[in-house]
Amino acid sequence: MLHSIKPKGRTIFLYLLVPVAMFVFTVFVPLMTAFVYSFFEWKGGPQKTFTGLNNYIALFTDKTFWEAFSHNIYLVIVCIVGQIGIAFILVMMVNSKLVKLKGMHRTFGFFPSTISAVCIGLIWNMIYHNQYGIINWFLKTIGRADLCKVWLNETSMVMLLVAIPLIWQFIGYYMVIILSAISSIDTEVFESAEIDGANGVQKAWYITLPLIKNTMLVCTTLCIAGNMKAFDNIFVMTKGGPGTASMVMAMYGYQVSFSQSNMGYGSCISVGIFVLSLLVIGGSQGVIKFFTREKEA
Amino acid sequence: MKKKWLGLLLSTAMVTSMLAGCGGKADETSTPASEPTKEPTKEASEEKSTPAAETPSDASADGVTYVGDLEIMHYSTSEESEGNGGSDGFRTVLKMWDEMHPDITLTQNVLANAEYKTQIATLAAANDLPDVFLLQGMNTIDWANQGLVYDLTSDIKSSPYYSDYNEAYFAPFTVGDSIYGYPALTGGTCTVVIYDKAMWKDAGFDTFPTTWADIEKASEYFNGQNITTVAFGNGGKWQANSCFLSTLGNRYTGPDWFMSMVSKGGAAFTDEEFVKALAETQRLFTETSIFNEDFNVVTNEDAREYYISGDAAAFIGGNWDESYIWATLQETDQEKWSNMGFAVLPQPADATKAPKSQNIGLGYAVAINAKLADNPEKLAAAIDLAEYITGPEFASFVAENYALGGLTKVADVDLSGFDPITQDFYNWSYVDTETCEIYDSYITNAVWDVLNTDLQTMMNGDMSPEEVAANAQKAYEANY
Repeated sequence: MLHSIKPKGRTIFLYLLVPVAMFVFTVFVPLMTAFVYSFFEWKGGPQKTFTGLNNYIALFTDKTFWEAFSHNIYLVIVCIVGQIGIAFILVMMVNSKLVKLKGMHRTFGFFPSTISAVCIGLIWNMIYHNQYGIINWFLKTIGRADLCKVWLNETSMVMLLVAIPLIWQFIGYYMVIILSAISSIDTEVFESAEIDGANGVQKAWYITLPLIKNTMLVCTTLCIAGNMKAFDNIFVMTKGGPGTASMVMAMYGYQVSFSQSNMGYGSCISVGIFVLSLLVIGGSQGVIKFFTREKEA
Repeated sequence: MKKKWLGLLLSTAMVTSMLAGCGGKADETSTPASEPTKEPTKEASEEKSTPAAETPSDASADGVTYVGDLEIMHYSTSEESEGNGGSDGFRTVLKMWDEMHPDITLTQNVLANAEYKTQIATLAAANDLPDVFLLQGMNTIDWANQGLVYDLTSDIKSSPYYSDYNEAYFAPFTVGDSIYGYPALTGGTCTVVIYDKAMWKDAGFDTFPTTWADIEKASEYFNGQNITTVAFGNGGKWQANSCFLSTLGNRYTGPDWFMSMVSKGGAAFTDEEFVKALAETQRLFTETSIFNEDFNVVTNEDAREYYISGDAAAFIGGNWDESYIWATLQETDQEKWSNMGFAVLPQPADATKAPKSQNIGLGYAVAINAKLADNPEKLAAAIDLAEYITGPEFASFVAENYALGGLTKVADVDLSGFDPITQDFYNWSYVDTETCEIYDSYITNAVWDVLNTDLQTMMNGDMSPEEVAANAQKAYEANY
């Protein structure tokens, strides 16, 4: 019976051919060509000079690139805690029996994920605006005008400030993933826990979290991958400024390639981003697996 | 049922909010392709005069025999052309040329300026430039050396309008003895102080102060009134260079230093006079309370709104800001409009050169893809187009309608038909002030991008002028 509904190998191949070809063309080919270009001095135009590893040597000593990398790592950490952590807490709250209008909460929670990153950047620019923004308006209203700041010009805080819109935007996205994972847990498990007298926090910590461990791992990987290539919101909000205080790797690659017309070095930065992202994702998965294994033992 | 209604309500809310979001975005950065030119908002008191388009029979007289497609890429969008004389003139004259050449299908690819710069750089990198495009001064050397742009020297010299050209405008587009473009649009200042005469009179200044010391004094008065003395926006990072340092630097170094930088004649960013200009820039932005405190976050578009709304007594920007402020105030606040005054940057106490200077020039030129050399007929058509859209038709249009000047000189511009503000700005731009070069019309963007980023940090007080100069010099030596 199963055999009769299983498509032929050729059919599967044909169905997959188009998306795989698109993937190869839009991801794999550019990656390979960037890798090739990264060995050239290419200041735009048809002339390229082979310079061997010069671009990579420059990359290792490029302070701005490593500063941008540290900003990406910062974003990853803040967003794992902010996006996945808050999403998990919100899901627990939405799933609680005390909460009414669950559907509405879910829908509104997902709202920010449907707005384009450029719009989100502009919205938050207005929120942070020092003259017309809601934060400074609020501070003035409660009589704490001394705390008003030009928020996005605060070198020490700007990374956190650009991370907040990112967190806000993606909470709903992770909420949907976590909700679907939780819905697959047998409700009897919760019921028996309740009979045993477990409270909400205990249920979340000792039952839900271990049972959706793999989903959380996927969420973490998605979050790391997303934040290693962060670009759009920050570009709209600060263009990496003040100076390079909110510069992230993708933006630096863009700036070098297009604002400085240095395509060769820009390609080298892209390869650097790719390698570093793989290392960070691989490393984080290793760390998570190590800790979870220890617990099981 | 209840759920269904709720679902419907929520989806309506969602769609509405998304549409609202999209609408807001579209207003900001929409870049429509060619549309019919709209009526400008700034023009002489009489009807806008458009030079009579030549009839098709005249077209054959210009020697264009090419039949087929011709592509042009530029950034005079319909939005930008509203109130901006250069853009309006460019679109108008381009349309006239198109009408005169029915055998040529002119395809226009129009993007907003920021997107244009990225796209044209990408096309140059891919060796896939359009037939005709706008070449930015600072790209000239790189692109010419790579054989991307057609050498127009002999065509320019044999142009019927050559004797009327303002030859100084060719400098940013010249490499050695070769010229690579017809300077386009209008020659406008990049650094003008626009001030509200009434507000400064109240502060005790009949004219705009000529020294920063006086501005600091005035800022005490304005700050007391909760008004920003001078609004400035450097959120895009390029403004501090184009609309401030390029002029302030000239006050310290004089023009020879910069020309030596351009010709690699031995000058350096680390030269004492230039570092002094950086130090003065840093002092003005970090130690005085002259500027709006969010100058490093807001763009020039935001900062000029501070002036328009009366939150600032003056504003520093370029001619594009002037045309916007002019048009907006004329519509919304006639009194404030009639109080518009223009001044050069005040002179720093330790600067010794050119106190009345402002940086003016044509930042872009109409250039032609070098590949057109393989098709002489198409090349001739492209050259004819370039000549036409920078020639007397364009110059007369912008002179008569906007009191602006372009590459081609127009004898005896009659200013009497214009309002006093436009007359003032014309005289300020072309008659009463000395001129100096716009830094980023020259050298290469690889240098300016590094300098601009560091300038922003320096203006926050997080980097010393010496470090900024050293980094810029390093980029200069590596890339120029």
